Amino acid sequence: MHTLTRLLNLWRIHAWLDYLFATRSLRLFALNYISDGVLAVASVSSTLLLTARFDGIGPWQPPQILFMLGYAMTVTGVLASLFGYNILYIGRRLGRGQLDHTLIQPQPIWMALLTEGFNPFEGSISLLTGIAMLGWGLNQLQFSVTLGWLVALLISLLASALIMLAFNVLWGSLAFWAPRGAEEINSPLIEMFAQMKGYPLDGLGPLMLGGLLVGLPIGFVAWLPCRALLGLSTSPIELLATPLAALLFGVLAVLVFRRGLRHYMNVGSRRYFDMGHRR
Amino acid sequence: MNLIHKFVRTAAMEASGSAGEDAYFIVRFVFRILRVIVLLSVWRAIFAAKPLAMEQSMATILTYTLVAEIFAEQLSPRTGIEWQMFDGGIAMNYLQPMALALQFAARMVGSWMLGLVLASLPLLLLAPLLGVNVLPVNATAAGLFVLSLTLSAVVGVALDFVFAALIVYVQGSAYVIGLMRVAISALLSGAVLPLSVLPYGLGDVFQWLPFASTASAPLRIYTGDGQPIILIIVQIIWAVLLWLLANWLWRTNRERFVSYGG
Repeated sequence: MHTLTRLLNLWRIHAWLDYLFATRSLRLFALNYISDGVLAVASVSSTLLLTARFDGIGPWQPPQILFMLGYAMTVTGVLASLFGYNILYIGRRLGRGQLDHTLIQPQPIWMALLTEGFNPFEGSISLLTGIAMLGWGLNQLQFSVTLGWLVALLISLLASALIMLAFNVLWGSLAFWAPRGAEEINSPLIEMFAQMKGYPLDGLGPLMLGGLLVGLPIGFVAWLPCRALLGLSTSPIELLATPLAALLFGVLAVLVFRRGLRHYMNVGSRRYFDMGHRR
Repeated sequence: MNLIHKFVRTAAMEASGSAGEDAYFIVRFVFRILRVIVLLSVWRAIFAAKPLAMEQSMATILTYTLVAEIFAEQLSPRTGIEWQMFDGGIAMNYLQPMALALQFAARMVGSWMLGLVLASLPLLLLAPLLGVNVLPVNATAAGLFVLSLTLSAVVGVALDFVFAALIVYVQGSAYVIGLMRVAISALLSGAVLPLSVLPYGLGDVFQWLPFASTASAPLRIYTGDGQPIILIIVQIIWAVLLWLLANWLWRTNRERFVSYGG
């Protein structure tokens, strides 16, 4: 109970800090917010345009595609709102030696990483756009939504977000060993997820598909969970696959991060000169 | 030292500079290869469901998609000038004995080298395995493609300088405007999807915009879709207009430019 209260307090504090950051200049805030919205829509525009032109993609009907794109945007929106300020881009924090700022705080690292990136004002546009698109797709599907289905949707969304987060932590942890080389490792990863999250992967062969689920888990960001949620797959295993994968990726990420942390405890960061410039 | 030598040396420095970092930059190129494999599978799924939905054949679209990825960096030319302005590094550029636009163009060309070796070449070699014919529609198209690609770079660098001048004018964020430019260009240029497949007649409008002169024009010439001469004339017109605009914007905004860092 104490931990939960502490978490809620920290989220409240970071929400307030984010509010102050957002309102320091209304012009800048509007510019950032609108451009984030444009970027969020642009990232799925190819699939949307193809769907409009061809009345669907393969087995996917337009409302199903709309739902999948909304799902994908919601997942990235959750991450953008909860893990901003370079928490998702963890390689930057680790590579730049900024973990020291976290280590000197009187709270566990996991708690700091879970709360420091909360930015409900600056980072919420893709979440809101995603939820709107999700609802729009659902409305067009004429789908009978049950409580059980809603719970499955919620679990899948969180699992997809966790997979993307864990995968980024997994790779970003390389910055413990290669601070400069892996500092920007998360950028191409996130860019890749952003570009490919909205494509249905049905047409891929088993080897490639396996690679995009296990090696580079793009299929879990939207395609696989949406197939299961929308009944495009008859296999009940697909509904469980995303939460199970989230568990596996989560455990793996924690193990690698902890190993990297042990290394960091021995060598620290050598990225800064005494006068503050980065090497 | 003549201009060509300066250009080549600057490009070589940029190429060797990016290769000199740790090997994690390879990830970016692996992703490019994966991305095009997924895109090809999407097109195959579309044609499998609706074989007669388009004027172009599936082979043409697949060639367009693969060649677009092989020349992805050349078809979306970026100098990165906004980042130099952002971190103050542009101050050093002003000290170099070479025109600013040429410096950035040389750096851009240099930055392509790694991608050509680590993504473009593997994709060319993989083309038969991916079931895509990467050959141009004929020899004339191949020659005109090279000319068109050069014009694409000229238009792209001009667009970069126009956007950079706008950052100064509105005192906006390099990050925001840079990302917006990437997002807008990707959609409007035809670098991801051929403009002819866009719904609601959007492609008919987009093909006349400057962004189409960076990607759509060379790719259409390569795949034999459209009149090459008209496409090249449009590229030349945009190159001239955009450089006039860029030049004027830089001159009028020169005094407003403030940068910090370096």
